Amino acid sequence: MEAGGEEFAIGVVISAKTTLGEEFEGQIVAFDRPSNLLVIHILPKSLMLLTRISISQEGVGRAERGERRNVRVLKANYIREFSVVSKGDDPLDPAGCMLDLNAIYAREDAALRQAEIEAERIGVGVTPEAQSIFDALSKTLPVQWDKTDIVVMKEVRVRSPYLPENVSGGTAAANERVKKVIDFERKRLHSRVPGQFS
Amino acid sequence: MSWMAPPPWPTSSMCPSFHGGAYNQRGLNTGLGMMSHQQQIAPPSRGSVNGFPHRKLDREGSGRHESKINLVRSSSGGFTNSENGIKLGHGSHSRDRLIYVLTQLIGHHVDVHVKNGSIISGIFHATNSDKDFGVVLKMAQVIKDGSARGQRYADDVVKKPETMIIPARELVQVFAKDVALGVDELPKGPGHDKRKDLLIDSAISRSHYLEERELERWAPDEGDSECIELEKYDRKGNRSWDQFETNAALFGVKSTFNEEIYTTKLERGPHMRELEKHASRIAREIEGEDTKDIHLAEERGLFLGDDLDHDEEIKYSAVRRDTDNSKYKPPFAKIPSSTCHVDSFNRTVNIDPKDSLACSSKMDEESSSHIFDDTDASATIQTNSVSQPTSDHLSDRPLSNDENRLDRKLSKESNENMDNRKLQPENNLSDGARPLISEGLDGRPSSSHAYEPSSSGQGFKSRETPDLTVSVKHPSATEPVTSSQRPGSSTSSTSERIAANSAASAPGLSPSSSIGSLTSEKSTLNPNAKEFKLNPNAKSFTPSASLRPPHPTSSDASYYYPNNMPAAPLGPGLPVGMGFPPAYGAQSVMYNTQPGASPQGYMHPAGPQYGQQMMMGGQTRPVYYYAPEMQQYRGRNF
Repeated sequence: MEAGGEEFAIGVVISAKTTLGEEFEGQIVAFDRPSNLLVIHILPKSLMLLTRISISQEGVGRAERGERRNVRVLKANYIREFSVVSKGDDPLDPAGCMLDLNAIYAREDAALRQAEIEAERIGVGVTPEAQSIFDALSKTLPVQWDKTDIVVMKEVRVRSPYLPENVSGGTAAANERVKKVIDFERKRLHSRVPGQFS
Repeated sequence: MSWMAPPPWPTSSMCPSFHGGAYNQRGLNTGLGMMSHQQQIAPPSRGSVNGFPHRKLDREGSGRHESKINLVRSSSGGFTNSENGIKLGHGSHSRDRLIYVLTQLIGHHVDVHVKNGSIISGIFHATNSDKDFGVVLKMAQVIKDGSARGQRYADDVVKKPETMIIPARELVQVFAKDVALGVDELPKGPGHDKRKDLLIDSAISRSHYLEERELERWAPDEGDSECIELEKYDRKGNRSWDQFETNAALFGVKSTFNEEIYTTKLERGPHMRELEKHASRIAREIEGEDTKDIHLAEERGLFLGDDLDHDEEIKYSAVRRDTDNSKYKPPFAKIPSSTCHVDSFNRTVNIDPKDSLACSSKMDEESSSHIFDDTDASATIQTNSVSQPTSDHLSDRPLSNDENRLDRKLSKESNENMDNRKLQPENNLSDGARPLISEGLDGRPSSSHAYEPSSSGQGFKSRETPDLTVSVKHPSATEPVTSSQRPGSSTSSTSERIAANSAASAPGLSPSSSIGSLTSEKSTLNPNAKEFKLNPNAKSFTPSASLRPPHPTSSDASYYYPNNMPAAPLGPGLPVGMGFPPAYGAQSVMYNTQPGASPQGYMHPAGPQYGQQMMMGGQTRPVYYYAPEMQQYRGRNF
């Protein structure tokens, strides 16, 4: 791996380019040689500026309690080039790092649940246009996917290609309402991005 | 690329991926040419984490590891671990940090860049810390397909997310946003953990959330510019957007809203202006009142004095903390005995638990009718009748208490006259008061009726103009008694009261007062009063006890007010149950000055002078009627 020496140093702020064409700047949090993984946390822009301007000894401050930063775990062999911006202190406080697995698992569960809910909203094998219509409908009406049909309020069904004519089922009022909303949404979508959808 | 289901790893577990030991990422399938074949049993490098979580890991993974590695012990210092310390190597501490970071990532949305340029987004689930840190993502989707197959940004077909494993070899980068890498404060339950999900207020205040968010001005989504602005005001400030219109246009929904279903129908007749003026005058009076209540004061713009102890709760909360709320306080209990509130009249009078008074029962009606009879009789009999009803009423001793009570209350008023009638009316009052008081409005008429005979009998001494000066604010309780004393005043006061939307309390008094007027020499005739006009709609009165000839027109009126009855002549000009009668003018009950003009239904001829007195006040101004729900006219029929 290239440039192994510097990568060792924790707390160093580097600016790097990856082979994939990404550029970033951040502070080294960790480096694991065996796996060749470099953990960088991307500084908030303001801090980055700071580090450039004033290469103070303290460098980049520790991540404050609850402060959030973007983290990259990068495989070092994909770094095409990099340069050291400044040196700083260890961004992690070794004495204070604690992992609450319970919280972590809970967070993961929550995220999964949320993702599942969102996944429900995505139709499988439907066109993006259909998805947009679905999203638009879901703003005001309860909608579900049924294969490639949109089912509104469990009653009204909208088939492909999701034109007002394809609305069927449900009470007359609901039917009308769905038709109108579809009509409206289509117009809106088309006016917004003319021609994006076939 | 094909992501395969995770085959069991030959070696140890994934560091933070143990959820109760269920999930078991063991290794990567060979299909990818990954390290599945690498069977090396690297010393199980379990992420060592501080504190209790590690224990959990240990437990879970114990099945699979023969040894617990303490990577930290060596040199990282921070990651102290209590397990047996087998130092891995000098680089272990950095691995620890890596593992720490990766563990922190669990549950976060991450983007994984892979070798071919694709980007996969999902929830970071696990990593193989023993090996090369392959990554497992749940609910993952290929966001950007870098493969030769599709250079498009998005697939033409939306796919469902699934669990994906990214072998380490493919892994280029894991990019996570908004990760709190810093020292995590000790978990405080949901507040702590859900920092990202739900920032509840308590959590925010608890966690010294120092990070300042950069606020962006809200801008509508593209394409939403056609949104109707919430407020479209024209020059005058009136909203030009009619929701019903829009609804009908957009969705074909017709509105069936009829305001009058929900509120009293406002009669906009010729008297509307006066009524409006009157109402606003009263409103001004009320609103301009001085008050000690800080809430009211603030509302009215009065400055009560800046009390620094008044925090927002005291200032703006509706919770009363100074009174004892543990006991139920019936509405009337709050009213000071002075019975200043007309509407509480009935209650006030009831304060002394006289249940008979409280309940409006048929009996009351009977009694009231009875009283009415007497009243009528007396009324018709003019001067002579006085004695007769009196005798009848004298028998109604039992209620004397009430009368006493009433009197007591009434005496609070500035009526000197009170004392006079106290004696006689008492009996009557008690009887009449009963029904009277039971219903407030209803009660009063009867009480007045009750008074009537007695008063007639006794001769009310002091029925003079002072009656006229009875202010509106007099408690209705006062009315009955007072009115008996002052027929004229009762009328005026009645009208006043009515105007003030007070229950026409005095109705009952009117009879008595009229009786009183019978004996009084003074003529309290109000010169300004309108003339009494016969109300053709008034039902003819038929008293149940025929102590007096049925009153031609006032019969029913004595019991209840038909809806169109403008004046509920409670006694002399005390309209009871006034609403806003459009027809009022037309049917305005003009108490004629001649007592004989009885058939007006409401005026008892019995009290000629009295009649004169009473009509006045009532008629000088429009009488405001309550919504005529009065089923019983307890007023006097003259």
